[in-house]
Amino acid sequence: MAKRTLALCRQAPYGSALAREGLEAVLAAAAMDQAPDLLLLRDGAFQLLGDQSPEGIGQKSLQRNLLALPMFGVERVYVCERSLMERGIDAKRIEIPGVKVELVLDTGSFIAAYDTVLSF
Amino acid sequence: MKFSLAVYSAPHSSQSAASALRFAQALLAQGHQLYRVFFYCDGVHNGSSIAAPPQDEFDLVGQWQALQRQHQLDLVICIAAAQRRGVLSEREAERLEKPAANLADGFELAGLGQLADAVANSDRLVTFGG
Amino acid sequence: MTLHIVSKSPYSSNALADCIGTFAEGDALLLIEDGVYALSGRMPEGIAVSPVYCLRADVEARGLTVPASIQAIDDGRWVQLCLEHNPIVSWFN
Repeated sequence: MAKRTLALCRQAPYGSALAREGLEAVLAAAAMDQAPDLLLLRDGAFQLLGDQSPEGIGQKSLQRNLLALPMFGVERVYVCERSLMERGIDAKRIEIPGVKVELVLDTGSFIAAYDTVLSF
Repeated sequence: MKFSLAVYSAPHSSQSAASALRFAQALLAQGHQLYRVFFYCDGVHNGSSIAAPPQDEFDLVGQWQALQRQHQLDLVICIAAAQRRGVLSEREAERLEKPAANLADGFELAGLGQLADAVANSDRLVTFGG
Repeated sequence: MTLHIVSKSPYSSNALADCIGTFAEGDALLLIEDGVYALSGRMPEGIAVSPVYCLRADVEARGLTVPASIQAIDDGRWVQLCLEHNPIVSWFN
């Protein structure tokens, strides 16, 4: 049976490089047909906000990486429901074309189901 | 059992890379296998040959190299993260027309696929970040 | 069952709180580096999960003492914990 791998992303975009480098690692693994599942937790949920325009701070949009996910066969992104609520992010307004955003309530049992967890 | 480590932190900035080295030494001492150490994000600085810590301080780069020689470890530095932060092999320095190369002996530059490969081929993966 | 490794002080980071929020039955918690500052003050009473381990070297380095509810371990036992648990989740931010 194939190993189940989770990328656990807890960082908001732009302020640190970890959110970007985490998504790059996910895309690279997906390109090798070893796509991990992706769970956005806490500030990682901020990666899902629409209308990110980072040109003024000299960065590339991280949304482009999220939009690339379905091209690499990642058609599902998990996000912690409580993290969204705490941050005032409306789950209904999250949209990544080609990607189904699934809410996770019990993150503990969700994480426990994986063989390997990559933290970003 | 087969381990791999992912190291995201630079030496001499936080304790994390030194913790990774200690953990690597401990697991090897117990006879376990270390399939790969993958240096990512600021962790690429662990492979810089031109770091020059004071004599009375811990030389993390040198310790990684010693462990690599002793156990023939696969110490892989993410090439994309390394290019951004200025850790280059002779070949990369030439290709990118940069004035110097600084990749330490015992380390190699490779793509992010090597992280996915480490995940696929190890029983345990431990991440050292922050 | 998951081994959670927390390496940031609970006085300055959400790492420990986030970890405890995802703690499941059968999991274990290991405090390393600045994570061992969770041993200070009344913080240990607030850690509602068990078992909790801490790295002795990190505790001693920082001049902390280990409360009875927490087990201090060496690097060898750390490796053992990683054998006994899977996956291993690091909380470092």
